[in-house]
Amino acid sequence: MNAKPRSISRHFSWGSVLANVVTILAAGIWLTPLLFTALMSFRPPAEPVTQGNIFVGTILTTENYTRAWEIAPWPDHYRNSIIFVVGTLAVQLVTVTLAGYAFARMTFFGRDLLLILVLLQLMIPPGVLLAQNFATIRDLGLFDTHVAMMIPYWGSAFGTLLLRQAFREVPIELEEAARIDGATLVQVLRHVYVPLAVPTYIAFGVVSVSSHWNEFLWPLVVTQSESVRPLTVAINKLIRTADQGSLYSLLMAGTVLVIAPLSIVFMIFQRRFVESFASSGVK
Amino acid sequence: MQAALPVTNRSVSPARKPWSQRLLPYLMIAPTFLIVFLFTLKPAVSAVIDSTLKPARLAQDPPAFVGLQNYADLFNPTHHLGARFGGILLNTVLFAFGTVAIGMPLALGFALLINRRLPLRGVWRFGFVYPSLLPLIGAASIWAFIYADQVGLLAAILRAANPNWLGSPGLVLGAVIVVNVWSQTGYYMLLFLAGLQGIPRDLYEAAALDGANYWQQLLRLTLPLLRRTTLFVLTVSFTFAFQAVELLQGLTEGGPGDRSNLILYFIYQNIGERRNWGHINAITIILAVIVLVFTLSSFLFFERGGRESER
Amino acid sequence: MFSRRLAFFLVSLIALLLAVVAPAAAQESVTLDFYFPEATANNAQGIFEEYAAQFSEAHPNITINVVYQGSYTDNRTIIQTQTAAGEGPDVAVMLSTDLLSFIEAGTVVPVQQFVDSTEGGADYVADFFDAFLLNSVDENGQLWSIPFQRSTPILYYNADLFSEAGIEAAPANRDELVAAATALTAEGRSGLWFPSEGFPIWLFTAFQIAGGEPLVAERFDQVFFNTTATAEGLQYLLDLSKVHQVMPEGALSWGDGPTIFASGQAAMLVHTTGSLTRILSEAPFEVGTAFLPFGPAGEDGTGYGAPTGGGNLYIFANSSPEEQAAAWEWVQFLSSPEIQADWTARTGYIAARESAWATDTLTALVAEKPQYAVARDQLAFAGKEFTAFRSIDIQNVINTTLSSVIAGDVTDIPAALEAAQAQIDSLLAE
Repeated sequence: MNAKPRSISRHFSWGSVLANVVTILAAGIWLTPLLFTALMSFRPPAEPVTQGNIFVGTILTTENYTRAWEIAPWPDHYRNSIIFVVGTLAVQLVTVTLAGYAFARMTFFGRDLLLILVLLQLMIPPGVLLAQNFATIRDLGLFDTHVAMMIPYWGSAFGTLLLRQAFREVPIELEEAARIDGATLVQVLRHVYVPLAVPTYIAFGVVSVSSHWNEFLWPLVVTQSESVRPLTVAINKLIRTADQGSLYSLLMAGTVLVIAPLSIVFMIFQRRFVESFASSGVK
Repeated sequence: MQAALPVTNRSVSPARKPWSQRLLPYLMIAPTFLIVFLFTLKPAVSAVIDSTLKPARLAQDPPAFVGLQNYADLFNPTHHLGARFGGILLNTVLFAFGTVAIGMPLALGFALLINRRLPLRGVWRFGFVYPSLLPLIGAASIWAFIYADQVGLLAAILRAANPNWLGSPGLVLGAVIVVNVWSQTGYYMLLFLAGLQGIPRDLYEAAALDGANYWQQLLRLTLPLLRRTTLFVLTVSFTFAFQAVELLQGLTEGGPGDRSNLILYFIYQNIGERRNWGHINAITIILAVIVLVFTLSSFLFFERGGRESER
Repeated sequence: MFSRRLAFFLVSLIALLLAVVAPAAAQESVTLDFYFPEATANNAQGIFEEYAAQFSEAHPNITINVVYQGSYTDNRTIIQTQTAAGEGPDVAVMLSTDLLSFIEAGTVVPVQQFVDSTEGGADYVADFFDAFLLNSVDENGQLWSIPFQRSTPILYYNADLFSEAGIEAAPANRDELVAAATALTAEGRSGLWFPSEGFPIWLFTAFQIAGGEPLVAERFDQVFFNTTATAEGLQYLLDLSKVHQVMPEGALSWGDGPTIFASGQAAMLVHTTGSLTRILSEAPFEVGTAFLPFGPAGEDGTGYGAPTGGGNLYIFANSSPEEQAAAWEWVQFLSSPEIQADWTARTGYIAARESAWATDTLTALVAEKPQYAVARDQLAFAGKEFTAFRSIDIQNVINTTLSSVIAGDVTDIPAALEAAQAQIDSLLAE
């Protein structure tokens, strides 16, 4: 038992040293923009990266942060972005689970047609249906609310497709066994399907959160109060300085302010993400 | 087989199931469907209708019905939109293929690299994933700084050898693809990681006992079992690639000329003139059909793959 | 116990009465949605909120809701989307060149009607610089919008390098410009930076205005793009890179221009007056400003000419008459000499009214930094910014054509101009 795995692991070790080097190099390349974003944000506003030391310039300052902070009510924007992404995701998790299960495991008249209709959402970029969708929001009386930003995403073709796929990979015997034990549909979902699809939920959650964290034009169209608007509005205020030309240090400070909270959340939870990937993989 | 199964199901089960049971699946998809109906299907139908109309000079006058003229205009090189549409269509397809051809193998590679014992694994994983946590407009501004002529990061490193990345017709599309790959790969890596974690460990142990080395395991075990994940990532990355607009807003505005312009940004450039709205809707429909073709073809693969491995 | 209940009852009654009466009393009060684009690094939102607070002191019944709406393009898209559904702002800053398309859409109302009913209205309008009013009227001369954050491109030069090279005066025509640029070009430094990415039409109009060949007819119904002025202008720009080698090849960045100039990597820069404040604070050398010299030398040896640019104030058709009247008050306030002067000092836009330049704020500013006066004085040579019917479409055609040629993607200039002109003509014929 002991001898054989050791020989395998020794066989792997040279390869894995090389793989570690490759990983670190690749991640290093990927991290370079972040490194310079952070470094630039501490340069004096007027100083280009070509001036002084490439890493730290001629002098370090926090002036960009104070200026960037003054330009927008950041705490409000953070709060709104969190409400936006969490509120969107929370509802999505329920709707995609229900729809994903129905499309994966139930037979009913018109199923394929309905699935294709839902999938149309993937094909038509919401940005171009702006005018009609704004009119709908207005008719629903939701103009300038958090719900207006979220509601078009409460049904997700992408999530439905993902969950349908994940649920279909769950062995049907597990559900049958649970049914024989008298489990209801809700219990079957909760105890059989959802736990086995955790990695899929996480993957979906990451894209949902990051894409809505990204959203700019739609929130701008359906809201007009700073008390409702998300963070992207703040970063845009730093970008839209066209008349003065690009102010990279200021912009980088704003970028750091936007990315920092999400990064911290990811850093804290990433171990849990991975563990849940792993645990579901074992089953 | 494919045809027989639903038929038997349909003829047997609905008759036996009680009424409430038959209604249940519809209730379960109702919330999703309602939203999709309100915010996609309904406006999409009016987009189809509007694509056959030509707005009048004054908004108060009714539009004229022009049939498929708006579509024809888009392929007419003397029309102000048609002169540009062909090249932009080509760019869009190149952009989508370029992003996928570079991004997918990278994402798979990163997932394989990260899915091992590794010192400081969390740091490296964060390194790959953080770009997808950043708003695209933020990613665009970081790269605007990297690419900036004379005063950017690459200019500081390459000095006189630094080309004008975003101002040269031959380089600009590639430069934008790099940014898109950088910003999306981490997310696709997560999808691959989820797929990798789904492969039972004992399969590897069995393969190792059979004397298969790492590359043999990768080729014979990992890749085939990742087939569905791969196809899924393919579908998603194509869909997303067709919808990247913010990058252009922050980087090139589609230029120089139209060398980095993409369909969705083109729509955005021209939507400001009300009298283009018929054409805009026609472009929207064309874009949807292109994405549909891509999605449907990978989806069909998907389905076939699914059937094969279904127990 | 009883008294407590009675007290509660009475309090409720009063509250109820107040609730009924208050709306009636407040009926006079108006809230205006004011949309603005282009945040600016100096916190435009904060400045507008200050102005709104000042304004509400004088007009207690009017509240201004200041709403930032992204870039000029985002702002326009949002306003079109919202007005089509019967929503939208009451008053907004939009590009002066958006006027004709908004008139056709029936979205805005002419401010002429408010001017006519305001005492001293004619004098108020006459106080604006003529160059800025050119883009505020329709083809019949009716006034639709009020100039607000206006700008014009000027030539920035590194005065220290000028004295080193023994150049005594700023170039006054296109040949002198080439001569100066050639003398100033050195290792790691280009003689001139003429941004050509994104929106080249704006700076390029300088060639037409200086050459005396307007790009657009008086009534906005004809565009003259395929002309010798255009062809010569394009050839001139290409020669700067290829023949004289005083400028890098390809489409040059707009946004990086100020940094490149201020860090000494270009000796001269063509840019908006909106960058003046920033460039003066960043450049470690003496900054000179001059009129754009893109014309051939005339009788007096000069070849000046420049377009104007920037945003005007518009009032919207969806608003009620009361809201429109209140919006007009706000427009007058924003265009008052004091506010215009303050806005100039804080952002770098050119105050659009002559009387604003007589205020203490601006006389002090000009005394300290005479560079600001150049922008104002250049208005005497300024023509209108390009606008026409189908303005957005025609701008797109022209921008794409100019950009392709300048970037070297298209080499057959006559064919490119002819194709563009044909597209423009068929657009205008629609």
